[in-house]
Amino acid sequence: MSDIFPKWTNRLPVLILVGLGLVATATILGVTYYFTPKYTDVGYQPQQPVYFPHSVHADQLGIDCRYCHHDVEKSWYSNIPGPGVCMNCHNQVLAADNRLAPIRESATNNTLVPWVQIHKLPDFAYFNHSVHVNRGVSCVECHGAVHKMDEVAQAKPLSMSFCLECHRDPAAYIRPPEQVFNLDWQRPENFTKTQGQEMVRHWNVNPAQSCSACHR
Amino acid sequence: MKTIPPPCPHPETGPKYWRSLDEVAETPEFRDWLAREFPAGASEFEDGVSRRNFVKIMASSFALAGVGLTGCRRPYEHIVPFSRMPEGYVHGNANYYATAMPTRTSAIPLVVKSHEGRPIKVEGNSDHPDSNGGTNAWAQASILNLYDVDRAKRFARGGSTISREAAVAQLAAVGQRHAQNQGQGLAFLIEPKNSPSRQRVQEFIANKFPQAKWFSYDPVDCDVHQKAASRATGRSVRPYFKFEEAAVIVSLDCDFIGAEEENTRYINGFSKGRKIEKPTDKMNRLYVVEPLLSLTGMNSDHRLRVAGSQVANVAVQLAQAVLNNGQAEDKWIAECAKDLAANRGKVLVVAGHRQPLAVHVLAYAINQALGAIGTTVLFHQAPELREASIADLGIALNGGQVQTLVITGGNPAYSAPVNLNWAATVGKAQEVVRLGYYEDETFKGSSLHIPEAHYLEAWSDARTMDGTYVPVQPLIAPLYGGLSEIEVLAAIGGAPIQKGHDIVKDTFRTLAGTQSENDWKQFLHDGFWKGTAAQPVNAQVSQDVVNQALQAGRPAAPSAQNLELALFRSYNVDDGRYANNGWLQEMPDPVTKITWENVIMVSKKTANDLGFQDSEFMFGTHELRQKDYPRGVPTATVSVGGQQITAPIWLTPGLADNVVGLALGYGRTEVGRIGKGLDGKGVGANAYLLRTSENPYFVPGAKVARVANVKPAEISCVQHHWNMEGRPIVREANYDQYVANPNFAKSLDLESPKDSQGNPVVASIYPNPLEREKNNPRIPHQWGMSIDLNSCVACQACVIACQSENNIPIVGKEQVYRQREMHWLRIDRYFAGNMENPQTAYQPMLCQHCEAAPCENVCPVNATVHDEEGLNLMVYNRCVGTRYCSNNCPYKVRRFNFFDYHKRTAKELDGPFYTTPVLKKTDGEWDLNKWVKNPDRHWRDDEEWELLKLAKNPEVTVRMRGVMEKCTFCLQRIEAAKIAQKVKAGASDEVAVPDGTIKTACQQACPADAIVFGNTKDPNSRVSKLKALDRNYAVLDYLYTRPRLTYLAKVRNPNKAMPDYTEYPATTEEYRVSMMADPKGNPFAPHGAHDGAHGTNGHGAAVESHGTHAPAGKGGAH
Repeated sequence: MSDIFPKWTNRLPVLILVGLGLVATATILGVTYYFTPKYTDVGYQPQQPVYFPHSVHADQLGIDCRYCHHDVEKSWYSNIPGPGVCMNCHNQVLAADNRLAPIRESATNNTLVPWVQIHKLPDFAYFNHSVHVNRGVSCVECHGAVHKMDEVAQAKPLSMSFCLECHRDPAAYIRPPEQVFNLDWQRPENFTKTQGQEMVRHWNVNPAQSCSACHR
Repeated sequence: MKTIPPPCPHPETGPKYWRSLDEVAETPEFRDWLAREFPAGASEFEDGVSRRNFVKIMASSFALAGVGLTGCRRPYEHIVPFSRMPEGYVHGNANYYATAMPTRTSAIPLVVKSHEGRPIKVEGNSDHPDSNGGTNAWAQASILNLYDVDRAKRFARGGSTISREAAVAQLAAVGQRHAQNQGQGLAFLIEPKNSPSRQRVQEFIANKFPQAKWFSYDPVDCDVHQKAASRATGRSVRPYFKFEEAAVIVSLDCDFIGAEEENTRYINGFSKGRKIEKPTDKMNRLYVVEPLLSLTGMNSDHRLRVAGSQVANVAVQLAQAVLNNGQAEDKWIAECAKDLAANRGKVLVVAGHRQPLAVHVLAYAINQALGAIGTTVLFHQAPELREASIADLGIALNGGQVQTLVITGGNPAYSAPVNLNWAATVGKAQEVVRLGYYEDETFKGSSLHIPEAHYLEAWSDARTMDGTYVPVQPLIAPLYGGLSEIEVLAAIGGAPIQKGHDIVKDTFRTLAGTQSENDWKQFLHDGFWKGTAAQPVNAQVSQDVVNQALQAGRPAAPSAQNLELALFRSYNVDDGRYANNGWLQEMPDPVTKITWENVIMVSKKTANDLGFQDSEFMFGTHELRQKDYPRGVPTATVSVGGQQITAPIWLTPGLADNVVGLALGYGRTEVGRIGKGLDGKGVGANAYLLRTSENPYFVPGAKVARVANVKPAEISCVQHHWNMEGRPIVREANYDQYVANPNFAKSLDLESPKDSQGNPVVASIYPNPLEREKNNPRIPHQWGMSIDLNSCVACQACVIACQSENNIPIVGKEQVYRQREMHWLRIDRYFAGNMENPQTAYQPMLCQHCEAAPCENVCPVNATVHDEEGLNLMVYNRCVGTRYCSNNCPYKVRRFNFFDYHKRTAKELDGPFYTTPVLKKTDGEWDLNKWVKNPDRHWRDDEEWELLKLAKNPEVTVRMRGVMEKCTFCLQRIEAAKIAQKVKAGASDEVAVPDGTIKTACQQACPADAIVFGNTKDPNSRVSKLKALDRNYAVLDYLYTRPRLTYLAKVRNPNKAMPDYTEYPATTEEYRVSMMADPKGNPFAPHGAHDGAHGTNGHGAAVESHGTHAPAGKGGAH
């Protein structure tokens, strides 16, 4: 009978268990890393129909975010500007540049410029730009240093846990209202513990952590 | 600790709260059916596919889905900005435009919400001087008609499509053809409307074509009010009723809460007279005389049921009694007359549109005799009604006097009186030009068919009932290029101004006497032009006319051999115009609670006389009903004068005997896919087949016969749901009891359950997550709602408003039969007392937002949780569809998506077997395959799908199959208001939303102002003040769920002298009897001892003092 099961098979159950354990650990680690927005979404940088370097406009020229995204303080949605906004300058500057052809075309012939969406929340999450920027949360907290980007890429995961980090501890992310659109502003040392806490208290910043804040 | 549910009190007299015959009969089968959570297969997957099969199929589909890995790709989407940004447009923020919905006699002023250019929600315009911002169900549902895939979309000549330009040219050609002979042979058939612009175009045509003839027809003739007022006073006037000024109201078959065209205004006025805050406040009293049970009858304090033709008799007796100081043979009439006489100047007698002119004249005579003209009844100058009737049109057509007939409204081929023989008659005209919203019955006989623009697509104007001039402003260009009525008339008449916008603007300039562009903009902005309300004219009712009315011939009363058919305007589909509107088809009829069809309504006695046994209408008792059709009812035919219709027969309490009720508007043959129903034959039975021009509403000589050998008809009635087992759910008292004990509502609280030691349990068995949060100073809001049952009239505007706001799907007749309807807000209706003439109570029932919510504790996945402001939330993404929450909800307000109701048509959900997507092959491809390719795909026509999407509110998630949903207190509106307030607050702490900012959809739509939502943390908010009133109570308070929604108890105002007076509201009988036997004493006793949730003391004397009254007399036997 001993021929049927050679001796090494005695170790088989242990090997299987260890193997299964390794596979399970690998799966869990894999899923937690590769299946989250941290891996799937951060760094997403599609090619846009028109090359628009934010670094030139927002950083070198110092144009305020709201010059183009003018509805960010009024609506849940931060608008992408129409060609009219571009042409305010570009009918003078680089008026014949080839890279701007789709914009000129849009402005004169009403064609559409199909910008590719980068920052995308699921449809069941109702994010509102206006309430954040009016209450001391800067663009940079979610979008990263866009003014340093040649071509915009997604900088933060924008997952639910990402949102909750701030909703649980707003003092660490809030800043003076006049600095909201200043993407270069650096939080001074101890700001969170002193002024940050104070602002949260004085403005009654109490971001909801319950589902109703974002899901309807 | 084990909690034992409280005992359910059963009085000796048997339950008096009943909602159907079954409940009266208490058959064991019915008890069993009720006891189940989701009755009759609502929760079972019993369709064809066996569990084993299902597992196999699903395994293969998962395998396939895995291969595709569709879910892991990032969707590639574009953001496309406008090439020219519209001025003032902020993407993401909704715009609101003032407009109005034209009705037969006036218009409902509206503010319509537009999202990215598409109108999505209709709301009333509360700025209008004669509106509180309320609407009715028809106005709320009208937006769905805009996105109706089956509406007429093409210009058609002889049935084949032509271009818009060609059609407009042909309209002009019609005019040119008739211009030579001054319009000889040209006839117009229009619908009654109160539009100055249309009147101007009409006048223009009348001047240009003096020989042209005008006819007007609407199956529901609301012009009768103007005709009667004009006849009574001898001047061309229109009555303007002020219900809010009346202390005693008598309705002579006038369903001013439901079927009258001005019901929004009337409900508002009526409920103002019933709002009481303290015992010293007075409330009005309503007497109703009617053949069928109407919404107004359900709201009455005293109700007399007589056949429709006999209302005239009552009117004569009442008029004589009033003039004769209360002397009348009939005690009901005599006492009613005395009550009227005692309230001189504060009375209002109204006659309904179904009654002949004589009854209206008598009503005016009584009003005048009691000094009500000038206080509750005003007369406003009105343009004369010059158009002839449709019967005259028939004569003209048959006489060959009409070569060209232009129909600009209505659907006469369906709704014309049957004696006109419309199909043959209209064929006598050489050309029929028709403007219609659908390619319906009338389409067939039309040589040129023009698609009509929706009122939200085209310019028009109107006068509201008070005479105020309002614009009907479009929010969107016609989806299918349709034309409006004034544009068609202007094209035919060759008017110098052809565009709707220009015509209306021209009318405005003439009427307002201004050329200013700013005034025009102001007019459109406000939605009305200030100061255009009509001034009352001094008109007297002529004695001669009254004498004539008193002498008018009386039709014979119906008898068992000679039944009277009473036809009425449907609460759902109106005269048939809303037959393709799914929201209205699925809205339960407020009286019968039946959806998706009309039934032959008879009283129990009439049914018995006709040979129907009670058991045929009772659950599982009749041999036919026992197994296959436990809820089936017999089918019958109604025949009059050689015409016959077939429909299910339905016992309805409160009907006059020997009267047969049947709703108009059903049984359409040429109608869209909603109105066609599941069998494609058109839902319901066509009552117009029984209607003649002599007897449009009350048809004598009707015969009702059983249809033998057919299977029982299955009616999708929502009446049996969620029986509340005799607990004090709707609490009411008579006015006297309220005055004696204003705290009666709290005195009716049931006793708390006892624990095993016999001590009362005075807390919920569930934790209350809000106990801590409520006092947190950093949370400025705690939301709550109060519903005043005394103001609510059960009109159901809120039901449709909720459906529109919250993307609630319709599920179809078959699914409603399985009790799977999705309405978040329903109106529960209870009958009590005498079955022949019951008292009715009703209650809007929606999520109560309990603080200690039973639903939350049983959810295994935390899909229903509380937020810190007291809202009970439903998180769709977490929900896995166990339905435990619904099982544990004491109020039964949760709704489950058994199927993808949005993606699928009702037809697809219909049997014999509902197959899963995987088992079907459509268009030569397995559905499974299609699903793998595109998991988001839908099962509707692409066009229908696109239109359906347009109607959705983007601020509310569209729920998918397998998740639970329920009322959210309009969370999207709360969040929008909070965000707006925070944006405003900026760097300050003023984040509390001011009171009155948030109105839930139901509250906004309510014409009675019965619903108030707000912040209960603010002691000065309206909702806090209402909750502090003595009539405030919570439903099922003894469970200590601490609902955030509380009700204000109902107070009836009966007249002690009336023969049908009962000392207590009939609905209270059940629990009152047991309570009076209890040492706690009579809850209505006039002692201040019942303060607090459970006042205890033994007022034995109180029991005795009421011992003479029938139900109370049995109290001691407990």
